[in-house]
Amino acid sequence: MALPPMLLPVFASLTLLGSPAPKYPADAIAPALRENAHAVVRAYDEVVTVKSASQLVKTVHKVVTVLNEAGSDDYGQLVVSYDALNRISYLHGAVYDAQGNLLHQLRPAEVHDQGMGSDGGSFMTDLRVRYADLRQPATPYTVEFNYEVVSENTLFYPNWQPQSAEKVSLEGATLQVVTPTALPLRFEEQQLPAGAASAPTVVGSQTTYRWQLPARPAVEEEPLAPSLDELLPAVRLAPATFEVQGHAGSLASWQSLGLWTYQLGQGRDALPPALTAKMAQLMVTAPDPRERARKVYELLQSSTRYISVQLGLGGWQTAPASSVASGGYGDCKALSNYTCALLKAAGLPAYVALVGAGTDHADVRPSFPSSQFNHAILCMPLAAHGATPADTVWLECTSQTDAFGYMGSFTGNRHALLLTPEGGRLVATPRYGAQANRQQRRTDLWLDAAGGAKATVRTRRVGLAQDLYAQLLHGADPDEQKKYVSNHLRLSHFTITNLRLAAATTPQALPAVVETLGLDLPAMATAAGRRLLVEPNVLGRLSALPAQVGPRQSPLALPPASLSQDTVRLHLPTGFRVENLPEPTQLTSAYGTYTSTCTALPDGTLQYVRQLETRRPAGATLPPAAYTEYQAFRRKISQADHAQVVLMKNDA
Amino acid sequence: MIKKILILTQVSVGISALLSGAVSAQQAPVKVVEIKFGKPEPADFVAKNFVADSAAPAVVLYDFGATRFQLNGNSFQLESERVTRIKVLKKAGYDVATVEVPLYHRDGSEEKITNLRGFTYNEVGGKLEKVKLETSNSFLEERTKNVRVRKFTLPNVREGAVIEYSYTVTSDFLFNFQDWTFQREIPTRWSEFRATIPEYFDYKMLMQGYEPLALQAREDGIAQYTVRSQGGFVEGGGSALSGNTGRVAASAETITPKVTNYHWAMQNVPALRDEPYMTTPRDYVARINFELAGRRMPGESYHNVAGTWQKINADLLSSDEFGGQLNRASFLALAVKPLMTQYPDPAARAAAVRDLIVKSMKYDGTNHHSASGPLKHSYELHRGTAADINLLLIAALRQAGLPAQPVLLSTRAHGRVNQTFPLLEQFNYVIGMLPLPDNQELLLDATEPLLPCGVLPTRCLNQVGRLVMDKEEGRWVDLTPSQRHNHFQDIKLTVDAQGNLSGQVRDEFSGYTGAAVREKLQQLGEKKYVTELTSQHPNWEVPSYAFTSVSEMSQPLRLTYELRQQASTAGTAQELYLKPLEAFGEGQNPFRHEQRNYPIDFGASTQDVIMLTLTLPPGYTAELPKQAVIDLPEKGGRYVYSATSPTPSTVQLMSRLTLNKPVYSAQEYTSLREFYRLALAKQAEALVLKKI
Repeated sequence: MALPPMLLPVFASLTLLGSPAPKYPADAIAPALRENAHAVVRAYDEVVTVKSASQLVKTVHKVVTVLNEAGSDDYGQLVVSYDALNRISYLHGAVYDAQGNLLHQLRPAEVHDQGMGSDGGSFMTDLRVRYADLRQPATPYTVEFNYEVVSENTLFYPNWQPQSAEKVSLEGATLQVVTPTALPLRFEEQQLPAGAASAPTVVGSQTTYRWQLPARPAVEEEPLAPSLDELLPAVRLAPATFEVQGHAGSLASWQSLGLWTYQLGQGRDALPPALTAKMAQLMVTAPDPRERARKVYELLQSSTRYISVQLGLGGWQTAPASSVASGGYGDCKALSNYTCALLKAAGLPAYVALVGAGTDHADVRPSFPSSQFNHAILCMPLAAHGATPADTVWLECTSQTDAFGYMGSFTGNRHALLLTPEGGRLVATPRYGAQANRQQRRTDLWLDAAGGAKATVRTRRVGLAQDLYAQLLHGADPDEQKKYVSNHLRLSHFTITNLRLAAATTPQALPAVVETLGLDLPAMATAAGRRLLVEPNVLGRLSALPAQVGPRQSPLALPPASLSQDTVRLHLPTGFRVENLPEPTQLTSAYGTYTSTCTALPDGTLQYVRQLETRRPAGATLPPAAYTEYQAFRRKISQADHAQVVLMKNDA
Repeated sequence: MIKKILILTQVSVGISALLSGAVSAQQAPVKVVEIKFGKPEPADFVAKNFVADSAAPAVVLYDFGATRFQLNGNSFQLESERVTRIKVLKKAGYDVATVEVPLYHRDGSEEKITNLRGFTYNEVGGKLEKVKLETSNSFLEERTKNVRVRKFTLPNVREGAVIEYSYTVTSDFLFNFQDWTFQREIPTRWSEFRATIPEYFDYKMLMQGYEPLALQAREDGIAQYTVRSQGGFVEGGGSALSGNTGRVAASAETITPKVTNYHWAMQNVPALRDEPYMTTPRDYVARINFELAGRRMPGESYHNVAGTWQKINADLLSSDEFGGQLNRASFLALAVKPLMTQYPDPAARAAAVRDLIVKSMKYDGTNHHSASGPLKHSYELHRGTAADINLLLIAALRQAGLPAQPVLLSTRAHGRVNQTFPLLEQFNYVIGMLPLPDNQELLLDATEPLLPCGVLPTRCLNQVGRLVMDKEEGRWVDLTPSQRHNHFQDIKLTVDAQGNLSGQVRDEFSGYTGAAVREKLQQLGEKKYVTELTSQHPNWEVPSYAFTSVSEMSQPLRLTYELRQQASTAGTAQELYLKPLEAFGEGQNPFRHEQRNYPIDFGASTQDVIMLTLTLPPGYTAELPKQAVIDLPEKGGRYVYSATSPTPSTVQLMSRLTLNKPVYSAQEYTSLREFYRLALAKQAEALVLKKI
């Protein structure tokens, strides 16, 4: 709509005269949008204006009606973050009652400003937040926010996902991107309904892109589902070319993103001469490249530590290797760059690689070259040496305790972007299957006539299965280890008499942690008249899966494949004989296989053996209907896990 | 088991005799540990000296603090020096090398850090390598409007390294004489604090914790200050917090007040650890606190700053942020007056007034003992701190003709109140109290809409509060709630010949359990709540459910559901073993650890009752478990279990667990743990069903 500009002030003053018309009354919300919702996003209008290759302006108009108290904390307040390269030009807000009458207009003094050093875990960071609190005691109420952020970091364009959490519905949302035609927009759409995108329009030298979303009901997070980030409609934006602090780059391909990042770190690998000489010496003392790399990694782990630094361009550019050499600390980029320099001096070429780290971090979307990473690691191709074939070794440089060449659940099973002088290359990090995620346990149970037992347990966890225990081993003192183990044993009552964790390795060079546990279990067996009822699978029970209440909406995302083996030796109290042994169980499904047997051994003991191998069929996600089938499998396992031995007291 | 005795000792400047109690027991002279900064001890690099600390990630070798007064022009400042040396034993201890020093500033007054120095020492090939802390290892963050944080991290930290740092903080805030904490999450070999206080200032000192002092001394001396200014002694600064007071002379002049030198130290202090059911570790950490009680300037009489309860009351009641607000609430009249005629009964009227405030005010999560600004402003914003809301509540009750009074308290997270000290800063919260005709006293809080009138939020359950009365001393008010953590289950099940169970469950949550479950239900919604309930039982199915009395806070919250539980073993047998109560009890002993150092604080007493009626399959009889009564010592609690057979085809099981006290001492832990073990064992006992 184009009005002659002169008319505008007249309209403005007219509205000021009377009391303002009610805005966003709550009773205008369709019943379907109230269902299962704590809040309703009434409008989410985002305008992204690309000013130049090095500057972008984002304005947001966000209106949310909070339906009940549970929605207040998340939607009655607004937090906008900023840093050295992102500036907030304004933040306005207002709150309306259920009828849409203005209750309060946010005053500048009510917008708080705070550094994030306390929460972000960063030692040095320029990240800050502004936040405003418009929460009200009476629901429903409606908050309206307008804010603008000017970004000088055009490596990142904003993403648009107006509905991004459970229990919030959406009335409507728009996205508009205005960019010089010479700086074309790149975008990726996710789960958009038909008709959400409009054809770009060109006016003069500017191109405008538009999207809009119609009303959408609230959704709920379900167990074993992909994250809502991946399930809800979104448009992800990225530049074709960009410039950050005078460093121009292109996102046309992974190659060009990698090249830009590589060049940003170039020339920052100089080491003190003494250190270079020490590394060169390794070529003599450790001719085997793998052994030499291991020595370099050991040196890194024993002489450096991880400290997060996020300042301006320093969020993307590594600190010089010399600063790590002198201070003994750095962030992921600095430590990877430093290790790369050490390896180079030891005659071992390696590459820094960017990765999206974290057990739950979504893998890179390969078709959309853009900065999707939060971490840096190192990748070292090893040429064949003697009888040893060529290999690739991946190194986590921020850990002082990780096993050499091990990525684990933090960075394994995904893509990483190698930074080479020729540019970036998207490659796969190590894959960890069931064998690299296994747990083997041997339990001895000495039962007494009253139903109590003493147990010794030896559990060996390998690969992904040991990740958490490795942290416990290296990061917690014995008291904390015991506390953790106590809090995670699912037993009615127990006393830990002994606990020891120790590191081990496997022939496949996977890390392992061996846990030795001693337990007093005063209520191991249940007395029933002259009988004792014992469930021999004391520690190996699979946790229950919640029952499906109502129809399943989300796809099924299974955990990584795993293998667990339990052997329990039951030593009977004197004067008791076996009255009944559980039947052997064998279960097979697309999701895995389960077997359990319980047999009497010639020495009078009972042996219970259980094995569960889980699979992740057809990649990561399955259709929603698969949940019922998967749950049936889990239920059968749970039932079998409670297999019961009946012991009978002999006649005196 | 090690018995720990809580030591709470008052150290008063005015009393010349030294302390009593735990300290005088420690007569053996203790050698004061001294270090040379910049020069590490070779013994700190010998592994055998750390064998006893093999469990710790790091050990504080030496922690020294000294606070004295200095003159800045004509104003006194606090100058606090700190020297710390730590041995890093494991990689898990690297965090000790990163230090944050928060620095407060307000209205031109500030805390400043100077003389920051530090070194890291590593033994490399038999030689000590010394690396200096550089300015590039340091960072200043403007955390909030009034707080800056100076962070630094020591370089070259490795396993076996010794780090040391020292700095000085000068502060304009004489009210904020920093506490000294002797104890940390890692063991401390030596922790020492000195304070030099001129006769002009009277500080109250409060020692707390479970660890004895190794050293305590006090010596009188003379200090020398040069005053560079004009005029006589003046009280400086309008703001109470700036607290600047000093002597103002026509030119540079030397004054030589008497000073008292205090000296405290602790040796071999164990690490402080978090335990479940604890108020806050702050309540248990070995620490000495200082509070400015008064000033005694030359030529002036003693100026009491804190002093007595009466004075605290008078100050509060005349303060703009407290008493000044209570009778300035005519803006509430329109809303409140109709309630006077509508509710002649005071208790009912109080509930109606509270309801009005609950509906008009949103608690923003901050706690303080005084209002953040005019109550009228908060009321218009519909949002405020706990003090804003509850002072408003008191004002509204008074408007409604109900003589409510304020009660100060300290939340559980803020820590226990020491009743011997009349110090306002011990409190961080205010509630209302209304005397009722029948000698009852109603405690009122309007921050939690999920609680009924007269029930305090869990955060307030910290034993005692202090009634603020006009022109009087006031008195302590018992905060122990009459409401309990209350859960009742009425279960009617039928078992078939395969051992499958089906039936109805009625769950009732009241008191503090009611509030907790209501909150959870609000967050999750009904469907997710039930999903979560079933997720704890692998073989449960809940075909239907209904919640009632969700928003009638004075009623128990009820959940009734239909239940089907599949037998864990298939097939029909001559004998069936059933543990029908197991799924409805706690399942796991809440006290998993064998030992406990600190009291167990539930805030309120507890009752958990399960009534289960089981209908047997035709042709079966049941062998009933024995009944049991388990008592905690000194009427601390009781567990009752009974199994009866009212008709040949039914069995009735009853399980009732009662904890009578809100707080149990660490000495009672073992019996509490055993009590739960026995109760859970009864709940897990099998019922044997036999075919006739």
